[in-house]
Amino acid sequence: MKQVTKETSIQTKLMRVMLLTCAVILMLTCIGYFGYEYFYFRANYISQLSNIGKIIASNSTAALVFDDHTAADEILTSLKTDPHILAAAIYDKDGRLFAKYPPNLPDIDLPRAPAFKGYRSSSSNFEGFQPVMQENKFLGTLYLRTDMRAMYQLFEFYSLIAVSVLSFSFLVAYLLSRRLQKGISQPILALAETSRIISQRGDYSVRAIKHSDDELGLLTDAFNQMLAQIEIQNLEITSLNQKLEQKVSERTFQLEEANKELEAFSYSVSHDLRAPLRIMNGYASLLEEDYQNLLDNDGKKLIQQVKRSSVKMSLLIDDLLAFAKLGRKEIVKSSVNMNALTKLVSIEIDKFTEHKAEIRINALLPAFADPALMENVMTNLLSNAIKYSSKKAAPLIEINSEQGNGEVIYSVKDNGAGFDMQYADKLFGVFQRLHGSTEFIGTGIGLATVHRIITKHGGKVWAEGREGIGATFYFSLPEN
Amino acid sequence: MQTLIRSLNHQIDNTVKYILLLLIFVCPGTSWPQVNPVPSSEVKAVFLFNFANFVDWPSTSLLSPGEPFIIGVLGENPFGSYLEKSVLNEKKDGHPLVIKYFSNIEEAKNCRILFINLQSPEQLHHTLMAIKGLNILTVSDAPEFAKSGGMIRFFIVNNKVRFQVNMEAVKDANLVISSKMLRLAEVLNSEGP
Repeated sequence: MKQVTKETSIQTKLMRVMLLTCAVILMLTCIGYFGYEYFYFRANYISQLSNIGKIIASNSTAALVFDDHTAADEILTSLKTDPHILAAAIYDKDGRLFAKYPPNLPDIDLPRAPAFKGYRSSSSNFEGFQPVMQENKFLGTLYLRTDMRAMYQLFEFYSLIAVSVLSFSFLVAYLLSRRLQKGISQPILALAETSRIISQRGDYSVRAIKHSDDELGLLTDAFNQMLAQIEIQNLEITSLNQKLEQKVSERTFQLEEANKELEAFSYSVSHDLRAPLRIMNGYASLLEEDYQNLLDNDGKKLIQQVKRSSVKMSLLIDDLLAFAKLGRKEIVKSSVNMNALTKLVSIEIDKFTEHKAEIRINALLPAFADPALMENVMTNLLSNAIKYSSKKAAPLIEINSEQGNGEVIYSVKDNGAGFDMQYADKLFGVFQRLHGSTEFIGTGIGLATVHRIITKHGGKVWAEGREGIGATFYFSLPEN
Repeated sequence: MQTLIRSLNHQIDNTVKYILLLLIFVCPGTSWPQVNPVPSSEVKAVFLFNFANFVDWPSTSLLSPGEPFIIGVLGENPFGSYLEKSVLNEKKDGHPLVIKYFSNIEEAKNCRILFINLQSPEQLHHTLMAIKGLNILTVSDAPEFAKSGGMIRFFIVNNKVRFQVNMEAVKDANLVISSKMLRLAEVLNSEGP
């Protein structure tokens, strides 16, 4: 449908130009003709009136000399054959009104006496005085007055003709221009149609047909050349794309393989590392129990150190193992009551940690996530917060949530040690620690785990903090 | 501005004068013609002269150059000096108009127009017979003039002088009366009453 309006638009434009030109020329011609007719008619009409005047004047000589008013009236009455003559009068040689027409015309409507010689046109009339002569003898004066209706009637008639001629010429111009404009519009429309087909089907093998050798022909040629170039370039792009896709899928496959190997490796490493550790711990315990009496206090302390280190390493391996498992685990999402979950986690942590902190859980929005993983996240964040605020006189931890743009943002805020914002991007890496392990114990895997879980959920993790003031950890989860 | 008003005033003054003049000269003539009637003899004298202009004489009777065009009066002159006044300095086709008075028809045969002021029918008849065949336009006041072979007879209707024309007599005399004049006349045909 849209195409049709476009087609008509260029054709209409061309025809409009042609028709407008025709109309203007015709109008100007008509105006010129009317102007000519107007002046011609006036001159003609005055001469006609003057002729009538001469005839009437010649006919009324006898009536004047024989002083016959009735006969003069009769002569004037003959003027009624010309409906345009409004008034006529005969004055005798002394300028006295002698006869008038029409008979019932009041004298006041006639000039009191002959005023001038000859004929002239006033605003709405033609009028004139004609001397009545006989053999060079002045007998009296004839007065004639006509309206201009004759002229207006003529002009009405001319207007009718002009309108008919205009309409007919316009029709002819319309038909002609409709035929002639095709020479220009047809090749353009053909081009437009070709480009429409191309843009609709994306088929660049279509070619426009050349109609003539003029500028439009050149345009068509250029258009076709462009199409050929596009076609060639398209082929190149397609083949490049295919190669690229192949490469991408190869790389993806390789990457997946490498990832799998890495995971298997880290799992087996963690798993295999535990066995010798258990043995180390076991023998240290045996040593402690069986050789209690042989060891002095220093020796006992050293054994304790060995045991603690092995336990710590065991924990580290546990965490690594859990972290590695996370990578393989499928997440199962459901609606999670974050309030209840966080409360449970806080109670659980409270049982196992010697640090006490005030934990404020504000009304939390529900999350759509894997409940077990959410528990993991909260455990990590809460224990972190408790751990790093343990050196404060009144540790305070606040947990909040807010509605974001298509996501829910949770935050865990503490008033602990905080951190320097320039290291904020290092917080979530594996084994990345901003504080020494002697200061705050930990494996350095907790935040990496949080990062991995939230990322797998399609959310984001970030943190804000100031050294010595506190830190706030945020994570967002997409809404259901 | 002031000069404009002054010139306008001047114009109005002139117009008023003109209208007053017109009233003085025109009104008595047009509005009260019967109060001061023109004597019918004067009118007839003028008519008589005007007939010269509306009647064509045959080409066979052309006047030689300088020869006068004679309007004659047979019998007693009823016009006083009106006829002389009306033809004063007038010409017909270049011939001066002359008034002559006759008492005998035999003397009046070279007239072009003859006013016959004879009352007795016998005299009239005799006169008309005497000039029969001549190109003389005969005019009279006599009541039976046209019917008894005269050409133009004056009569009075509504205080106005009108005339009666006997076409047959005019034709017999080889004269042609202008249709313009005939239009004003009461025409008497041979077939007519």
